[in-house]
Amino acid sequence: MLVIGEKINGAIPSVGEAIAKRDEAFIRNLARRQTDAGADYLDVCAGTNPDDELDALVWLIDIVQDESDKPLCVDSPDAKMIEKVLPRVKQNGLINSVSGEGDKCGIIYPLLKGTDWKVIALTCDNNGIPETADKKVAIAKGLIEEAAHYDIAPDRIFIDPLVLSLSAVSDCMLSFMEAVRQIKEAYPTVKTVSGLSNISYGMPYRKIVNMNFLALALSVGMDAAIMDPENRDMCGTLYAVEALLDRDKYCRKYNRAYRQGKFGSK
Amino acid sequence: MLDFEKLKTAISEMDDETAMNIINEVVETQGDAGQAIAACQEGMGIVGEMFEKGDYFVGDLIFAGELMGQATEALRPLLAADSSEDLGKIILCTVAGDIHDIGKNIVKAMMGAAGFEVVDLGVDVAPEDIVAAAKENGAKIIGLSGILTLAIDSMKDTVQALKDAGIRDNVHVILGGNPVTDQACKDAGADAWTTNPQEGVAICREWALVK
Repeated sequence: MLVIGEKINGAIPSVGEAIAKRDEAFIRNLARRQTDAGADYLDVCAGTNPDDELDALVWLIDIVQDESDKPLCVDSPDAKMIEKVLPRVKQNGLINSVSGEGDKCGIIYPLLKGTDWKVIALTCDNNGIPETADKKVAIAKGLIEEAAHYDIAPDRIFIDPLVLSLSAVSDCMLSFMEAVRQIKEAYPTVKTVSGLSNISYGMPYRKIVNMNFLALALSVGMDAAIMDPENRDMCGTLYAVEALLDRDKYCRKYNRAYRQGKFGSK
Repeated sequence: MLDFEKLKTAISEMDDETAMNIINEVVETQGDAGQAIAACQEGMGIVGEMFEKGDYFVGDLIFAGELMGQATEALRPLLAADSSEDLGKIILCTVAGDIHDIGKNIVKAMMGAAGFEVVDLGVDVAPEDIVAAAKENGAKIIGLSGILTLAIDSMKDTVQALKDAGIRDNVHVILGGNPVTDQACKDAGADAWTTNPQEGVAICREWALVK
């Protein structure tokens, strides 16, 4: 499974503060640590108010790609912002994100045409985030078909079926898993991705819910997660589940990660 | 014998079976619906306090809200003539650009439990629609909810729209949700803010009673 390091996000209070103060050492440290922990992509999100977003995001991109050789996951709620900062990025990575909302596809997809950039596609549209698997799948199909017009093959698209919160929607995990299954069935090469903490919103002892969410999601074929690569519990869960699902022959990756101290007691 | 103390406890512990048994008994025996509602409201008050203390969680609040809705629905026929505390109308919605409604729905249930008539405009509601609703139903309190940072801008726009429509001074505006802070409340020009449903009910109740 691909790990998209989530730590460089201005919505996290300490990071927001570092961005506001333009604390370069703080950001470099986050980039370095996530890289060392094995992240495949580093998410960069300014999370500031719109007036400062361009400046902050460019600042972040410059620092992170100087510190790490990992590709970036360029993250903004504003498609035009992504368009503006993309030329700044040296190595083709992942765009976070398009969705069925407004004209996001119309702005982002042309940027991907003729490149090997990949893109995260959220299953929401102008009506919001659907609860049922069928609606999630319908939006996903629309996003994948639309991408084909720009020669973007399904294997460059990471569908995020947007899991809701278990505390409010009791069957949200079931509809998430059903959506992943159906999307994979319709487009075997398309990728799927999710954050790991939305599921446990409003619940006590969230980490145990998050870890089991990861396990269940992996069992239906989730390909990537936006997560903290330094989270030892999550890391252990990931290696254990990959082995349990026969994706780690003789548990070699699990054992190696343990030897490297990626999980287990310190 | 109807046991309203037991009803209050059942609501506060979200024991839906016991609570609905008592409610149904009230309905069958044409018992004191006003007292039953009061007991439910007290039970919901306890649920709110437990949430405030960190003993109850979001799922508990939602379930209690649903239970309260069921109880009110069952008692409604008996309540028609009876007027338990009527705090008037409150408009609630999730503001433009945001579609998160867990918090709004919890507040809705708790406001309803406290005696407000809640007008729920839904999610992603444009300022002009909120103004139109306020003009139409004469609500004196407007609760604006949101979880995204950009919701603050929509809240600001909504207060501005109320000003432009000349009805800002007729209403109290309260903000709720994750990104809301004292500073955001000032920036938006709202009257109050909270991230705690129980506190929100207390603030609105005070407004409603002063009139």
